[in-house]
Amino acid sequence: MTIPCYHCGLPVQQEGRFATEIADENREFCCYGCQTVCKTIYNSGLQRFYQKTAAETVLAPPPALSSELSSYDLDDVQADYVDINAEIRTIHLLVEGIHCAACVWLIENALSKQVGVVRSEVNLTARRLRLTWNNSETTLSSVLQTLGNIGYAAIPFDPETAEGVLAKKHKGLLYRMAFAGFAMMNLLWISIALYSGADQGEFRNWFHWIGFLIATPTLFYAGYPFLRNALLGLRHRYLTMDLPIAIGATATYSYSSYITFTGSVYGDVYFDTVVNFLFVILVGRYLEAISKREALSATTRLLELQPKLATIITKEGSKVVPIRSVVVGDLILVKPGEKIPVDGILVDGQSAVDESMLTGESIPVVKIVDDKVVAGSINGEGAFTVEAQQVLRNTALAKIVRLMEDAQASKAPIQCTADKIVPWFVVVTLSLACITFMYWLQFDFEKALLAATSVLIITCPCAFGLATPMSVAVATGVGAQNGILIKQGAALEALSKVTQFVFDKTGTLTQGELRVVAVETIATMTAEQLLILAASIENHSEHGVAKAIVNEAKKRELALSTITDFLSLPGQGVQAYINQKQIVVGTHRWLKIQNITVEEHWQQQQDKFEHDGISCVFVADKSKVLGIIGLADQLRNDALKMITSLQQHDIAITVLSGDKQSVVNAITAELGDITRYAEVLPGDKSQLVRDLQQDNIVAMVGDGVNDAPALIQADVAIALASGTDVSIESADIILSHNELYKVAEAKNLADQTLRTIKQNITISIVYNLIMIPMAMLALVSPLVAALTMPISSLLVIGNAVRIKYRVKFK
Amino acid sequence: MDVIYGLLPGMLLLGIIAVVIFFWAVRNGQYDDMDGAANRILMESDQKKDRSDNDNEE
Repeated sequence: MTIPCYHCGLPVQQEGRFATEIADENREFCCYGCQTVCKTIYNSGLQRFYQKTAAETVLAPPPALSSELSSYDLDDVQADYVDINAEIRTIHLLVEGIHCAACVWLIENALSKQVGVVRSEVNLTARRLRLTWNNSETTLSSVLQTLGNIGYAAIPFDPETAEGVLAKKHKGLLYRMAFAGFAMMNLLWISIALYSGADQGEFRNWFHWIGFLIATPTLFYAGYPFLRNALLGLRHRYLTMDLPIAIGATATYSYSSYITFTGSVYGDVYFDTVVNFLFVILVGRYLEAISKREALSATTRLLELQPKLATIITKEGSKVVPIRSVVVGDLILVKPGEKIPVDGILVDGQSAVDESMLTGESIPVVKIVDDKVVAGSINGEGAFTVEAQQVLRNTALAKIVRLMEDAQASKAPIQCTADKIVPWFVVVTLSLACITFMYWLQFDFEKALLAATSVLIITCPCAFGLATPMSVAVATGVGAQNGILIKQGAALEALSKVTQFVFDKTGTLTQGELRVVAVETIATMTAEQLLILAASIENHSEHGVAKAIVNEAKKRELALSTITDFLSLPGQGVQAYINQKQIVVGTHRWLKIQNITVEEHWQQQQDKFEHDGISCVFVADKSKVLGIIGLADQLRNDALKMITSLQQHDIAITVLSGDKQSVVNAITAELGDITRYAEVLPGDKSQLVRDLQQDNIVAMVGDGVNDAPALIQADVAIALASGTDVSIESADIILSHNELYKVAEAKNLADQTLRTIKQNITISIVYNLIMIPMAMLALVSPLVAALTMPISSLLVIGNAVRIKYRVKFK
Repeated sequence: MDVIYGLLPGMLLLGIIAVVIFFWAVRNGQYDDMDGAANRILMESDQKKDRSDNDNEE
């Protein structure tokens, strides 16, 4: 059992590595970021944050801060978001890293202590901060820095462009629902009066007119979406679910109005039925709209998080400008650590660039003059100049994002089936209502109208319509509490039918981090001595291999030596002097460049290691090789347990990797009977998934950008939260705790959900089978119909809630 | 019973005022953050306590 990080709660991979004394107690952290953030929080006296965080909450390690903060102080840049003529400015910020109410408290308190901050309001639902500050007392960048220190990364955004249209539609629905609610409550009083005898005598007409007054705006304002959709549907010769609703409501309304206008002493008005009915349905529509909006906002966030600023070089010098104003041909300076804002060609300087977002290759690629760089990749330690070739929506990254948007839009097979059933459902409902009306017309017009309306209302597919979404909503909630974030409800249905799981190897099945697994030395040296040499030098490098070696040395509690004359060539190796002795650490090629001979047995050792999936780093002095350090990626702790659990459900497992076959075999050896595909190029992953889909329903589990096309292609896509933005974006299900075992739990949850959905559909069918004949026999008045309808819905809802208690989590 | 000729319109008027207030609240963004406000009320109170604690120390 690993210790959880004191700040974020994720398991600590290496004990002691980031341990710090805080408030007289030794605390373990998972990373440097968490450690710093916790120190800052304690130093500013905000430690109550930790008491406020709910026990079960797992925060994520703090996101990386953009290195271009100071450019947000420029008026040119701020002009997009704020009124730059005022001293007191207000801006909307998207904040990464908000998890719970305690974060709201922390942010607002930390900012309130800063001079110049006038107001800060955090919106927990939308993960946003509305900040008002006095520009003459503080700068935006220093506020962003304060946020960064306590573990949140914030970037400005414009709420209007981000989701203006959707938010308006959403608000419109809320207004209509509220109005229908008001009308319903008032009309019920009138109804009670009418039922208790006011329909006989002098007030009869007065009550009818009041009812008419309330029902008319309700039908035409609150019911407008239904009337409009029904008419639009008819015009395009398509029967929508709104049609029976519209017919039922208008027919009942017209008849009631007729009674009211003629002042007839016979017959009753049914304004209450119309209004109740519209209100109940609007509530349903509103809930539906909320969930849809949440699904969409994720995509908006990704687009917002792309690089926003670029430093362009002009004749007058360099200037930071918004990315919008960069055109093809501009020269752009990329500083160390920055995200590259455009696709282009390197014209000056050189650096190692982390392209893992796009290629999945975790080792940085060295870029020299005339090499291509892509937007979204992260610059390493050098600075360079790029000539822009593709900007904004034309960059490779933007194309991937667009590809995903398209895929998301088209991917909803279950929705399609529902859409196919709806017209038939409507036809059946309308014909049944017609038959009922015709039959009863022989006896009594009012009875016929009411019976027909009852049929229309009672068959109103509420229970049917709720059966799936309600179960999905409950399952989504249960999942979220347990670290399984379900973005699309349809994914649950698909997941329960999955027969084949495909896993990406690097970073998904494995930890995605290199570790020292073997040290071979010459006879006169111990492994420790070799590690000290290597770690002392690698301590000055930021490379992944270097980190692994330094970590290993720290784990063995080795004291590092001081070095002089450090020199590094990105992607090749490093060298330095220890006690006036030259030591070289790096690849075989690096040693060759330095004219160091590698003897035959070292060569064989390297081949042997590489066959087993272990990459090699040579350590040498001026004349000969001193030893080899072998590094490898290892399986996650819970990988075996998860695979076994899935196999018990008769699910086939496939692993994809870009590595050599021998490497894949060596690393996944203990997983037993699974299919392994090696040397799969990023582009071929989706093709492989497509092939598997011929005979199977496929779920893909991945984490890198190179997995994104395969994730989209798969029937269900699952991503780890530690993965890249793009892979998370293309996934249907996200595992927020980064625990692989959650895959098996998600599968169980999906199975249970499908069972519940089937039960719910049975309930609603049984309900319809009993109630429709009764309505046709005119045994049910529209009001009773309007009452039984919610009862059937409640049954369905109640059954759905049981999912909470049926699925067991670890 | 003639009173209901006045009472019913009165009731409607009050109802409509409530609806107008609700519309105003929505337009003001009062419903934008449903989760935050519910929690903030708990946080706010002990933030004030914090402040008075500090005052005492000083």
